[in-house]
Amino acid sequence: MASRALEAARLRPIRQGKRRFSFEVKMMLPALLILAAISIVPFFYLIYMTLNKISLVGGVGIAPKWIGFHNWAQMFTDSNVGAGWITMVIFFVATVGLEMLLGLGIALLVYEMVWGKNIVLSILLIPMFVAPVIVGLLGRFLVNPTYGVYAWVLRETHIFTGNILGGQVSAFIAVVLMDVWEWTPLIVLITLAGLVSVPGQVLEAAKVDGAGYWQRLRHVVVPSISGIVLVALLIRSMDALRYFDVIWQSTAGGPANATKIIPLRLYEVAFQFLNLGYAATIGIVMLALSIAIAMLFTGILRRRGLIG
Amino acid sequence: MTRKTFLKTAGVGIAGAAAAGLAGCSSSTPSHGGSGWKQYSGMTLNFISENTGPSSAIAANLQPFVDLTGINVNISQLVLTSVEQKVALDLSAHSGQYQVIYADPYNIMAPLSDGFADLSTFMHDKTLPSVPKGTADFVPTQLLAAGRFGDKLLALPYDCPTIIWCYRKDLFEKYHDAMQHDLGFDPTPSIKTTWDQYLQMARWFNTNQDEVPYGTGHQAKQFTSLNDDFANVLWAYGGDYFHNGQHIGKYGSTDPGPCTLDQPEAIRAAEFYNEMLSVAHPGSVSWDWNDLAEAFGDGLIAMCPCWHEDAASWFAPGGLGDKIGFSPLPTGPARSANHYGGTGISINKYITTDEQRAAWLFLVWATAPQTQEAGLFSKVGGGTPTRQSVYQMPKVKRATKPPSDAPNMIPYDAVKVAWEPQNIGLRPKVPYWNQCDAVIFTELSKMLAGHKSPADAMRDAKRGVDDAVNGGSSGV
Repeated sequence: MASRALEAARLRPIRQGKRRFSFEVKMMLPALLILAAISIVPFFYLIYMTLNKISLVGGVGIAPKWIGFHNWAQMFTDSNVGAGWITMVIFFVATVGLEMLLGLGIALLVYEMVWGKNIVLSILLIPMFVAPVIVGLLGRFLVNPTYGVYAWVLRETHIFTGNILGGQVSAFIAVVLMDVWEWTPLIVLITLAGLVSVPGQVLEAAKVDGAGYWQRLRHVVVPSISGIVLVALLIRSMDALRYFDVIWQSTAGGPANATKIIPLRLYEVAFQFLNLGYAATIGIVMLALSIAIAMLFTGILRRRGLIG
Repeated sequence: MTRKTFLKTAGVGIAGAAAAGLAGCSSSTPSHGGSGWKQYSGMTLNFISENTGPSSAIAANLQPFVDLTGINVNISQLVLTSVEQKVALDLSAHSGQYQVIYADPYNIMAPLSDGFADLSTFMHDKTLPSVPKGTADFVPTQLLAAGRFGDKLLALPYDCPTIIWCYRKDLFEKYHDAMQHDLGFDPTPSIKTTWDQYLQMARWFNTNQDEVPYGTGHQAKQFTSLNDDFANVLWAYGGDYFHNGQHIGKYGSTDPGPCTLDQPEAIRAAEFYNEMLSVAHPGSVSWDWNDLAEAFGDGLIAMCPCWHEDAASWFAPGGLGDKIGFSPLPTGPARSANHYGGTGISINKYITTDEQRAAWLFLVWATAPQTQEAGLFSKVGGGTPTRQSVYQMPKVKRATKPPSDAPNMIPYDAVKVAWEPQNIGLRPKVPYWNQCDAVIFTELSKMLAGHKSPADAMRDAKRGVDDAVNGGSSGV
């Protein structure tokens, strides 16, 4: 008996081990391998690139040359990258802030509509389905000083008589508004989804207790939809960090670098200067920042018990 | 440099090949007569090109090549920046996806020169068709600027847009006497007109008539178009990007030496350019070359320095057509400099020998006089020929006067003068030109926005260009 028990004890870990690695691992292995191939391996290679000089200039191949932390040192002392980040932060705050405010406001208005809600919502959502590159081209045409209808309206009303994309402030405002025009509908859509989930009985009870519209909004509606609004904020924040198409099409970063946010700088270094090592360094920082923002939001959501 | 001198300096290979071409093939048409055209029948080539007139014309009329060789050609036409990226990745990865490449001398050939096959190999090969009429038939400066890098010939000249002075002939005629009276000189645009007089005329148009809102317009968006526009003035004032810049423009260099944009001539050019833009149509600072051509065609400006191949759009039905005139650009303290923006077509070095030889057949055919003539008269709007012999064809000569079946030929009298060696303006062919270009147009944009004085902008541009040439990434 004792020897049989000993034999069983000796085999148990093996059998358990086999169980632990056989079924789950076998099932997940294909997906893990694909994930590694398309995501993890390139990620580590990207880090490796940041430690090398990899330039396509010459046209003879990609030959990494180890330079240690030179790219990192250069990036942290590159005033143009610094300026790109500052422009990025202002752009980020302006676009995401405006989109959240307008999105919430419009969603609340649409939610209160008694009839025609679907038609209005359908019209509101149209910009979201336009490709960003088209939004850039469209925006460029609309503010063209020669034939742009917005430029004409502003000129005729004496609100702005200059060249919209030719002035630093006006060009910046123009590209911010192009992004706001396209992505505010997403906030509207997500917020509306949150609003329909607000418990009707609670709203009714608040009304019976004499709470006015603003009180109901502040004490019932906003707390109820705050989680989903945070999700909307997270999505837009991540998107705003890699904003590129509209600015590239409309101003290409000008005038005088007024709209040159960091993704444009990244594109320029990678695909115009063909300096992939330095571009990888800028890209890794953008990635790290995106992850930091995502973690911040998921932390908030977790603390509120909105996610597991 | 004369044709003879070029042939001497071009080396035994190219000269020999050119001579062989001249001696062995007097026809302007690739012949069907058993000279190796059919040896790669059934093969497919991929040609990547900027979306320019010649490629559109060739894409629309590819059948003669298919009939001649049995080779199929897939033509991808993209904006230049996309072509640059795809070619850089293709060559660097040695993937050989594109056999024939539209090799812009500054943005593609110079940075990726080691990825292109030396064409003298094919010129020497007796089993392959030679260049009809020889390479000496190409406009000499264009053969150097678009084709050469170092001691190798990497491309055959394919298109040749050049910035010239485009103006409203009707307005200049109508206000000729008034302008002459007010300004004290003959306002008729010509190469003898100075840039200072150009500025005075722009001011005159701004204030003395109401048929066009502004006198001059420019492609001064923070983009490569801004540097293209500025370069005309820079050269005219005796400045350049590097010492011996025009030589570097012809032959290329991997070590151009220090940038010379901080020299007094360049600073004076920047000061003048800044002043000129202050009286230009305010839209100029957000216009690239397409926007500028549209603005001129829409009657918003009386004159502008513009790529001559935009003429086709102005002479389309409903356009300004006969109201437009052309001249070489005005003269500065040093000369009249007319920015050459032509390109050649090249062969990818990282493809099989057979593919390279098949690609050579396409190069020979696509740049042959007969093909260029067909492209010029193409309904889809071709480019301007790079062959001297094409301009001697009676049909082509007739097309220089409106009404014309080939409106790109209408500016020819001005362009012909612009191409003369003393008048052509060549950017430097250096491997880091894309970065240098970005540095310069960014600094110019800051100058036009009032952030920097012309002198500061030029000094900062010099620092950025020197950094770029030395392999740095800052300064933009």
